Amino acid sequence: MQAIPSRRALGGLGIRLLESGRGAWRGLRFAGDALVAALSPSTYTAAVRGAAARQLCVSAWQVLPGVVAFCALLGYVVIRIVSSTAHEYGLSAYAVDVFVRVLVLELIPLFVALFVALRSGAALGTEVALMRVSRENPVRTGARALRAELLPRGIGNAVAVLCLTAVGAVVALAVAYVGLYGFSPWGHDAYSRAIGQVFEPLLLAGFALKVSLFALAVGAIPVAAGLAAARDWPGVPQAAPRGLVRLFVVLALVEAVSLAARYV
Amino acid sequence: MAPPDAPEETVDPRDDLAPEVRHAELKAATLLVLLAAIVAGFVLYVLYARGAFESVQKLVLMADDGAGVTVGMDLTFSGFPVGRVQRIELAAEGKARIEIDVAKKDAKWLRASSVFTLERSLVGGARLRAFTGNLEDKPLPDGAVRQVLRGDATEELPGLIATMKRLLENLDRMTSTDSNLSASIANVRALTDRMTGPQGALGGLLGSEENAKKAVLALDRANALLASLDGLAARMDRALARADEKLFGDQGVVEEGRKVAVQLNAVLADVRESLKKADAVLADAQKIGANTKAATEDLASLRAEVEASLRRVSLLIDDINRRWPFGRDTEVKLP
Repeated sequence: MQAIPSRRALGGLGIRLLESGRGAWRGLRFAGDALVAALSPSTYTAAVRGAAARQLCVSAWQVLPGVVAFCALLGYVVIRIVSSTAHEYGLSAYAVDVFVRVLVLELIPLFVALFVALRSGAALGTEVALMRVSRENPVRTGARALRAELLPRGIGNAVAVLCLTAVGAVVALAVAYVGLYGFSPWGHDAYSRAIGQVFEPLLLAGFALKVSLFALAVGAIPVAAGLAAARDWPGVPQAAPRGLVRLFVVLALVEAVSLAARYV
Repeated sequence: MAPPDAPEETVDPRDDLAPEVRHAELKAATLLVLLAAIVAGFVLYVLYARGAFESVQKLVLMADDGAGVTVGMDLTFSGFPVGRVQRIELAAEGKARIEIDVAKKDAKWLRASSVFTLERSLVGGARLRAFTGNLEDKPLPDGAVRQVLRGDATEELPGLIATMKRLLENLDRMTSTDSNLSASIANVRALTDRMTGPQGALGGLLGSEENAKKAVLALDRANALLASLDGLAARMDRALARADEKLFGDQGVVEEGRKVAVQLNAVLADVRESLKKADAVLADAQKIGANTKAATEDLASLRAEVEASLRRVSLLIDDINRRWPFGRDTEVKLP
């Protein structure tokens, strides 16, 4: 009597795992296709450029003041906490080091990726799922659909992640200088030296790679999740959460691998 | 599935998904330029911050142990970074070889006689420090190799712990019940018990009541002796007063002596006057002597004159005698 439900439960689990594997594979394949298409100059027709520009404006330009304000506030709070704590323990020399490693290298890229994913990626995934359901015989599938409709949106989101991360990191570094030295120019040498010590070439390359992977994930996974959704109306609401969950998992994996490569 | 030959230009993304934004391409271009500027500027800034554009000279430090030294760490002079570790390797002789780039503009602080230390503290990382005693010394040459002196607080810990352990063992031995310290404290307690007895601290110090009584008796005698000495001193005072009177009173020896001295002084004044007179007499005598000498010189001629006169007188007398009738014939006539 007990064996049948267990077998059913195991079967359901296997099906879910299989579905997850399929979804991950589709996402990876879509990400690969999107990356190849994004790196191909022939992709950037006028229509694609226009669509990518509009998506970039929606994802980055409109939220730029908010992101700048948030990064400035967060940077000031964190540098004050870190510098006062380090000062109490006689470790003031390491305040900039800790600030850069925690906030600039880890928190801001993750925050920006999650912000863009929640604001634009979820909406994009839902729109893709709706598009698939609303068209009985969609012609825009495969490579052409990728290039024409989905790729510009993904590129826009990915570039938004890069732009917002760069702006947020620079704002946080500037605010950290002000938090440490005020508006005096005489802290420049010590600050530059500390920045130079933290940003070793390998670390800088790893940081660039991590942010690029974040951008790729934010640009590709929500769209892939939308494309993987069932072609019926009940599947539409599930497309965005599934895409976000996959995205969070991927972001966490990238972050974990980055930390492990850097500190383990 | 879509037909493979479906024309791409039939696809217009603006119709479906992409939201409308005014001046979208301009804003997107602005964002891309901003991104490129930030990336390029930050890379240049990091290169500058890492000293990529500085003119540097090499300094090689040899350390017995390179633990704690990392690539990129600073070499400081008076708390200011003047160099940066570029490379660490194990040298052929088994020592840590630390290559440091020292900026040319800061190389003036390092001299041939500079000393370099590698310090490891309990909190924080290792520190490479340079000390220059004589800034007038020769500049440190490019590629100079120097030995690093070690100042490691953590290395002292095992020795410190061993010493602390020995100290605690000694303390434990000292505070055990059969230790010398306990016996001493017991003795002190016995001593204090005796000191609280009828004879007080003296009884405690001298060991028995009898000895304490002897001590008290000795003290009494000493007091009596001191009293007699006091009377003796009073008598001595009186004797001294009398002697003082004899010596320094109005009729005392000193006064008399003073008078004698006054008289002697007057006598001496007289003597001085007498001597002055004698001196004058001597001067006169000297003059007389001189005159006598001159007179003595004339005496010979006077004598000659006198003798001549006498001879003439003699001749005169002889002549008179011859002429005188009663004159005798002085001639002897021989037969």
